[in-house]
Amino acid sequence: MALEFDRSIIGQVFDETSFPAVTTEEIVDYALSLGETNPLYIDEAAAATGPYGGLIAPPTFVSKLRAQKFTPEHLPKFGKFGFDGGRDLELYTPVRPGDELVMLSTIHDIYEKTGRTGSMYFIVIRNEVRNQKGEKVAVIDHRIMQR
Amino acid sequence: MNTFYFEEIEEGDELPAIDFFLSKDGVRQFAKTAGMYFPRFTDDEGARAEGLPGMIAPGVMSLGLLARMISDWNPAAVVKRIGTTFRSPVLPDRNVHLRGAVTQKNDEDHTAECDIWMENDDGERWVIGTATVVLPVKA
Repeated sequence: MALEFDRSIIGQVFDETSFPAVTTEEIVDYALSLGETNPLYIDEAAAATGPYGGLIAPPTFVSKLRAQKFTPEHLPKFGKFGFDGGRDLELYTPVRPGDELVMLSTIHDIYEKTGRTGSMYFIVIRNEVRNQKGEKVAVIDHRIMQR
Repeated sequence: MNTFYFEEIEEGDELPAIDFFLSKDGVRQFAKTAGMYFPRFTDDEGARAEGLPGMIAPGVMSLGLLARMISDWNPAAVVKRIGTTFRSPVLPDRNVHLRGAVTQKNDEDHTAECDIWMENDDGERWVIGTATVVLPVKA
């Protein structure tokens, strides 16, 4: 099956989600559920004397942000089953308590890979996260596999 | 936990392994704090109804655990990039092993490239990935 779809959907912003201000509790709970012991993420008093002058979130904290619309309405369907193939994070400014994050979503890429068991289609959804100051926080790529 | 400098690492260094029993309660706790409290991550029956063999850990939990391994290795390391491929579902109620190694040192920006992965008792790599971390330098 040739990979045919309207390429104009690539790069178009299909969702913009604003999140309520990040709380200290939310950061600490997230860090502890991963077994973190790094004071930067769990100990406000110790973090205050550290390099950031306060608590920051672990780098993967942004992976818990969920867009209102995960995929565009007219996402082409290439297969019967979808799998979460992986996640790639590029990290810039750390997340701090009080941050009001905004996430923009685009389809970044669609491609086909042929292996032993036939063709698989990969849809890369890109989330760009910014804070209330307009600083870039993270770029998150989701690789969705369809077959 | 100890902080060390870029100058003190070498290509081929292994990150301290984390070996632990991944409990169902541990997965539920993560699912709750990560806003992913869905049947596939919280109970076996709900997961089976979705065609899975039983409840699984969210992919982003494995991602988070691998980042924690870097944080345990050097709490002053700053992760600039981390990428993981979810090769097979991570089933809780069994041992998991987090592993990593430095594959490349970049002198110009004081970064280390690392291979990171999660495996089971049989050495099957359920999750594989790479990370780029910035390490502090000696003054």
